[in-house]
Amino acid sequence: MMLLEHHAKEFLAAAGVAVPDGILITADELAGAAPAFVFPCMAKAQVPVGGRGKAGGILKVKTAADLPSVLDKILGLTIRNHPVRSCRLEALVDYQAEAYFSLAFDADSGSLRILAAAEGGVDIESPEMRAKLLQVAAVPDPEHAFAALNDLVLGLPETMRGPIREVGSRLIPLFFEREALLIEINPLFIKSDGGWIAGDAKLLTDDNALPRQPELRALIENNPDLYPEAALKLAQGFDFVRLDPEGDIGLVTTGAGLSMQLVDEIVQRGHRPFNFCDIRTGGFKGDPSRLVQVLKWVSSGPNVRSILMNFFAGNTNLAELVPLILVAMERVELRQPVTLRMTGNGFDAAMAILAEAGNPIHVETDLELAVDRALAVAAESADA
Amino acid sequence: MLDAFVRPDVPILVQGATGRSGRSQTAGMVAYGTNIVAGVSRRDDPEAKVPLFRTCKEAVSATGAKASVAFVPPLDVLPAVLDAIEAGLELIVTVAEGVPVHDALRAKAVTREAGMRWVGASTPGLAIPGKMKMGFLPSVSLAPGPLGVMSKSGTLSYEVCYRLVERGYGQTLWVGVGGDAVKGVRFADLVPLFAADPATKGIVIVGEIGGSEEEELAEALIASRCEKPVFALLAGRSALEGVTMGHAGALIQAHVGTIETKTAALRRAGATVSETIKDLIEAVAGTLESKS
Repeated sequence: MMLLEHHAKEFLAAAGVAVPDGILITADELAGAAPAFVFPCMAKAQVPVGGRGKAGGILKVKTAADLPSVLDKILGLTIRNHPVRSCRLEALVDYQAEAYFSLAFDADSGSLRILAAAEGGVDIESPEMRAKLLQVAAVPDPEHAFAALNDLVLGLPETMRGPIREVGSRLIPLFFEREALLIEINPLFIKSDGGWIAGDAKLLTDDNALPRQPELRALIENNPDLYPEAALKLAQGFDFVRLDPEGDIGLVTTGAGLSMQLVDEIVQRGHRPFNFCDIRTGGFKGDPSRLVQVLKWVSSGPNVRSILMNFFAGNTNLAELVPLILVAMERVELRQPVTLRMTGNGFDAAMAILAEAGNPIHVETDLELAVDRALAVAAESADA
Repeated sequence: MLDAFVRPDVPILVQGATGRSGRSQTAGMVAYGTNIVAGVSRRDDPEAKVPLFRTCKEAVSATGAKASVAFVPPLDVLPAVLDAIEAGLELIVTVAEGVPVHDALRAKAVTREAGMRWVGASTPGLAIPGKMKMGFLPSVSLAPGPLGVMSKSGTLSYEVCYRLVERGYGQTLWVGVGGDAVKGVRFADLVPLFAADPATKGIVIVGEIGGSEEEELAEALIASRCEKPVFALLAGRSALEGVTMGHAGALIQAHVGTIETKTAALRRAGATVSETIKDLIEAVAGTLESKS
């Protein structure tokens, strides 16, 4: 999970990395009194993606009186499909130069990469910037990382060596203790007196490590509105991502890969999936509540006109699944028609259960036919 | 040729054999004809169908097991891998979802050093259809046939192979490498095997966004001068940047691991990249039919 800049900076500060003073403001708090903060300052949209500046998500606030209108602008944005739910107010920094520093895993080789450059603040992916990056690879443990950092620093201009060595030696322990996948400081501001401070911060954490990372777990649990997908996964053990609030097709599907592929194919055919979902039937254990939850979310989409369920029962049993679907549908009182694609173990028994219930769901065994039908239902209802 | 990776009759032990899924999957693998010779567990289980041992080493000295499939919880995967190395096994398959990346890195480093092949961190396993399976690739999607299959996603590959089998195209070997960011065996590692195996007439890749495994695979195809037809399906075209879509590896960051970079690399290597499952099935059927 990519932490919001504000939270990333809190972890950095706790590890001894200097960051500008800052506070987090959410949309709910906007109506309240103006926060006690030093103006002028920067207001920065908190979303887990880059390109915030270009999207109008980073603005200067000259006086306290300007704050409401600036926040109004920023909190109304959607940046690369992420609605801006919070904003960081941050003190201005006086600096002389900018640098770049990051620690990242190279998943392919299984090594740790340390990168630095005597310039920063710009798009690190650009070819010009890539050419200026110094990098070293290390066996992923603190001891090797420190040795690699020392090698890296030698390649930098003299004025940069001290700051990069200090930043690096504080971030390496943080990287391993918090089981990070990426920490990036871009820009790292270098002050005229040789001091330094992190201008921006990215911290990518490992969701799989949450069972043994209580601080990260607490962060998610205390901010479910800011990390909705991670909070859901943590609390309920499955994935649900709202893709398009205007979407017309609701998905109740299992398996990450097949669910992603279905989303892709529906988009390709000119429809808009409301959500992605990997409901994990293996976790039901005879309880319909997960299905009830997902059906509630999906059916609450204002434009959702058709619901597609897909269950390929390679290892599960459809005869155990179908009764749960029936219970869940009854509890949610769905207004949208459902197309259920199912095939695999227990199919005949599952069909018998449906027949006994009066066949309330349209069933297809072929995925293509099921998608055709679900999309046709949505199109018809949009025309009506 | 594929024997260099896994032999159909290789004696296998099951780590975590007495857990709920370990027990039922062991039964499933035995029923499929897999040569399961031992189980490893800290607990006793009077109903166990295979002899139980406390460690891999004990199991190996008593039964001669050469490979392991581990049904242990995600935080126990690294210890299981270390135990398997200690016993000198040549291959381990780990299936648990949610293995921490820092553990996977460690497992990658130690398995590489020990020369043990590791399929994982999280995968549905591998199968030589009609002969054996390690893990739980569904039997309805398995049939002996001409395709070498490698997949990141379980479910998407089940669907693809199920429909290919319906059309008469089964597999020589199917390896689920899994959807993790850090893993053991990668797509590219399997290319030389499939390229050299006379029974494999075509290669099917079920990939997805994130990482650079597909790009690396494309390079391996070129390097191996593989003349066999290669078909790829890549999921996640419409994934949301910055959010994990179910698989830990499927997190796109700007410009890295996008569908565009993967598609371009694979096409340069001569692969057919399909956008839909249906197109992939038709491409495979069309190509292999005209060859036979």
